[in-house]
Amino acid sequence: MGAFLYGAALQWRLDIRSKTLLLTCYLVPLLFFAVMGGIFTSVLPDAGDTLVSSMTVFGVTMGAVIGVPPSLVEIYGSDIRRVYQASGVPVWSGLLFTNISAVLHLFFMSVILYAAAPLLFDAKLPEHPGIWFGGLFLYIVTSTAVADVIGLAVKDPAKTSMGSMIFFLPSILFSGIMFPEELLPEAFQAAGKLFPATWGYRLLSGGAAEASCVWPLLLTLLLAGIVCAALVRRVRE
Amino acid sequence: MRNMVQVRGLKKNYKDHEVLKGLDFDVREGEIFALLGGNGAGKTTALECMEGLKRYDGGSIRIDGSRGIQLQSASLPGYIRVKEAVCLFEKWKKAGDGKRWSEVFGLDGFYHRKYRELSTGQKRRLHLALALIGDPEILFLDEPTAGLDVEGRIGLHEEIRRLKAQGKTMILASHDMAEVESLCDRIAILSDGNIAFLGTVGELTTTVGKHYNITIRTGQGTEQIETEQIGETLLARLTEYQEKNVVILDIQVDRGSLEQHFMKIAKGE
Repeated sequence: MGAFLYGAALQWRLDIRSKTLLLTCYLVPLLFFAVMGGIFTSVLPDAGDTLVSSMTVFGVTMGAVIGVPPSLVEIYGSDIRRVYQASGVPVWSGLLFTNISAVLHLFFMSVILYAAAPLLFDAKLPEHPGIWFGGLFLYIVTSTAVADVIGLAVKDPAKTSMGSMIFFLPSILFSGIMFPEELLPEAFQAAGKLFPATWGYRLLSGGAAEASCVWPLLLTLLLAGIVCAALVRRVRE
Repeated sequence: MRNMVQVRGLKKNYKDHEVLKGLDFDVREGEIFALLGGNGAGKTTALECMEGLKRYDGGSIRIDGSRGIQLQSASLPGYIRVKEAVCLFEKWKKAGDGKRWSEVFGLDGFYHRKYRELSTGQKRRLHLALALIGDPEILFLDEPTAGLDVEGRIGLHEEIRRLKAQGKTMILASHDMAEVESLCDRIAILSDGNIAFLGTVGELTTTVGKHYNITIRTGQGTEQIETEQIGETLLARLTEYQEKNVVILDIQVDRGSLEQHFMKIAKGE
């Protein structure tokens, strides 16, 4: 237990020191929120109703999909993994600790956004905060699980960035965060359903844990978990 | 003497390529044993099979003791501090001797420095210290001095000798013949997936180095002769020089360096 707690706390500190995660989990999402929040609420009077949810989904998607894979590549695509393995440090520990740290950072970013949105833009808060945060937690975990697949499957940093962008851009464009889904061509609407951001946004903006939105996220989480387990096994062998 | 490592018929394939074709050797308690071979001879593969990092396709490996492993290319997260790395490995290995090994390798002076700020030599020493946490009985060292300057290499050799004096068994893979000659008790030379030679450095020189190298420096220049009959050859040449009134300035006789013998074996001569 001592090793587990120390490893998790150490990863948290390393993420703060490396600044990559800070940039993708805090600085860029909050800056985007500050700029786009102002534009959205001034152009579309109703945008304040969904601002907290849309900006949260954007921030979580970015922090997870762009921020997590490089940390995994640093461990699993380099000699760090072999050093850990040679010294009896479990292969899965790097993945687990990176995830714990990322989930906590993304959760804190979401809390900051949640608190700031009504003050800055007179945004409307969810009617049921408990359920909303529950949904948020599910979305954060699902997003980091998908990010894990990218980080474990691709070992080259340049290809990882490309893989992250290929996943990130349609997640943002097709999910309804930037403009209503109804304005998208049908093909793009259908494609959007393949990305967890669409279901995360529907879940959070709906204000309640709708089963129709929870199941796709749980299914994605399950699939990503299975793929991650296979990839870690492949790395170990 | 107790055998700490026993390797029998070790085989390893990479797809259709047979890298190790059935290695047999033992490593005795307290000795420094070297695996030598050219690039692709299979020494790192053999070492990694013994370390438990690679699966092998045939034969058996018996390790009688705890293992400490220093990899040829090793790394840690760039932002981890020396102190944190030592503490992390202590926790996973359930040991408390990290500080001791850090002091032994002179790491206590930069305990708070980040890994990315360390020099190559400091990183090597850190990885050796991490490998020694838990006080393992057998230490695996893959090219331990690769990338080090002369000072760093001498320093690390001293540490390795000190560890041997403490009774540690060490298995080393190296390209550096001088290092092997000065540190190792026994060597195994791998060639084309087989052990081409197994024994001490002295035995290698005696068994394989049948040729003597004679260097005669005279007022007219330097002559080099390679021969198996040292007495007859030397006498004949000296007589010839005497008859021609050539002044002999210096005579050197040696049986060739380990490097020369190694090259012969590695080439299958």
